[in-house]
Amino acid sequence: MRILRWLPGRLFSAVIVLLGASLLIFAAGRSLPGDYANTVLGPLSSEEARVELRESFGFDRSLPEQYVLWLRNALEGDFGLSLASQRPVREEIASRLPITALLAAMGMVLTIAIGVPLGVYAGCHVADGRRSAATRIVSTIGISLPEFVVGSVVVFLFSHFDFGLTVGTFVSPAEDFGAGIVSLLLPALVMAIPCIAATARATRNAVIDVLVEPHIAAAIARGETPGFIIRHHVLRNALIPVLTLTAIIMAYLLGGAIIVERVFNVPGLGSYLVLALGRRDYPVIQAVVLLTTAIFVLMSLLVDILTGIIDPRVAVTKAGPGA
Amino acid sequence: MSPIIDIENVTIEYPGNGARVLALDGATLRVDAGETVGLVGESGSGKTTLGLLAGRLLPRSARVTGGQLRIDGQDVLALDDQRLRALRRECLGYIPQDPVAALDPTMRIGRQLELVLHGLPSDTASLRHHLDSVQISEPDRVLRLFPHEISGGMAQRVMIAMAMARTPRLLVADEPTASLDSHVRTEVTKLIFNLAAKAGATVLWLSHDLRSVSRWCERVVVMYGGKVMEDGPAAQVLRHPTHPYTIALAASDPARAEPGQRIGTRPFDPAASGTEMPSAKLAVGGGR
Repeated sequence: MRILRWLPGRLFSAVIVLLGASLLIFAAGRSLPGDYANTVLGPLSSEEARVELRESFGFDRSLPEQYVLWLRNALEGDFGLSLASQRPVREEIASRLPITALLAAMGMVLTIAIGVPLGVYAGCHVADGRRSAATRIVSTIGISLPEFVVGSVVVFLFSHFDFGLTVGTFVSPAEDFGAGIVSLLLPALVMAIPCIAATARATRNAVIDVLVEPHIAAAIARGETPGFIIRHHVLRNALIPVLTLTAIIMAYLLGGAIIVERVFNVPGLGSYLVLALGRRDYPVIQAVVLLTTAIFVLMSLLVDILTGIIDPRVAVTKAGPGA
Repeated sequence: MSPIIDIENVTIEYPGNGARVLALDGATLRVDAGETVGLVGESGSGKTTLGLLAGRLLPRSARVTGGQLRIDGQDVLALDDQRLRALRRECLGYIPQDPVAALDPTMRIGRQLELVLHGLPSDTASLRHHLDSVQISEPDRVLRLFPHEISGGMAQRVMIAMAMARTPRLLVADEPTASLDSHVRTEVTKLIFNLAAKAGATVLWLSHDLRSVSRWCERVVVMYGGKVMEDGPAAQVLRHPTHPYTIALAASDPARAEPGQRIGTRPFDPAASGTEMPSAKLAVGGGR
């Protein structure tokens, strides 16, 4: 397999990235202003009670010690107790992660299902100036609209008028999968709008670039139909730059969940993180951010592997010239 | 018998910088079925435009402003899309200048050949047969390779196999050996002419090398400034060029030099030649 030539190196760098990220996350978490003991016990508490609380959570040890301890436990899946609820962080995450994952997956599906065909259509009709300009304007608007604006507008519209979908009433997919999907449809769509626009534009540009390649001219000279050429030669080639974008979109969707979950009142990882930030709940903050980073690193690894499968030249360029 | 190529006084314009550029300026060419014709001219002489015109493969910006064009008896400029595709598929075969770029980089050779053969038998045995016919020695290995993994010569053999797969009536080869190493050029050239002769295909060979063209083609057509300047049997055009441009072209031929003689490039100057010559890229009309 060609992939095996560069995959080990790529895996190694993924581990390094995760380690670096964990260090940053830990440092960022500890440099937040505010003291936990103060937050929990209140300003009128005694100094002894505060010291005792800090000791019981290990905050009295040196920072490197705390980091190693935290990382070792995290690798075993133990993210400690939530300072606020005193429940294991793992349990709290386990109930919320599937919701955010489902939301991001729905956003991804919408992005690809709408963005790619739009981009292919726009790319194949560049010669039609008016249609081309229209897609460009729409995609620019789509990319620039912040999701809290779109989200608020959608919430307003759907709560004032009856469009068949309700906002703010979350149904857990674990209880009723179908109803859960329906309740996540609007937030997923709001999150997906900028992604759809970005994907459509990237696909359009990729298609335009592929269409001028000599192998397309050769296929036209052989008398192939436009549909045949797009299916067999354009899509696969145009997918390569678009795939790279999907890794970024994945990160965007995971990060975007924070805002959208707040706006639409979805009890996922994002709204949990906002809650934890307000409470200085270090274990929760660190766990959620680390998990999100790990998912993103994993996703970009997956994208790299997919690119390697679609573009046989990847192995060559990764190996460097003369290899 | 009707000629396979019948180009009559065709004029083609490209929009240029402020002015329109004439790629063809009243070009006329008739080629009978089975002929091997070398179309010689420098860059911008219109030979590539003429080659592309045969399949109506010109860029969208090009406009045919005059003349008539029949390929295999069909009025190519008047064909609807479907019939045009049928003409390209059944009647024409193009061999490109850069064969590696003409192959889809994401697809194995075998799969690409299979796509080209759609409608024809495309099992492994037939794929192997097509590669055998272009003298590829390890067809099974090559079928599994990607375009970036094969040499230019190998890629050109694959392109030849693709072009010959439907036994075209007219084979258009635009400098098919220009991007190849010198040691495989003769082999590839020989291969194209042998296969074309076997299939009874007409060859339109575009080149700027008068000498090699006259070695392989029965007939030589010299183009300059979008016009056909000279047309005749290869030996005659090479030995007794009548047109000043052809004289200049033939004189710069190393094969004609005496031993020890310095080869002069002898630049051709239309103004000094005393004949009225169009410039290679003639700008006409005002800006738009």
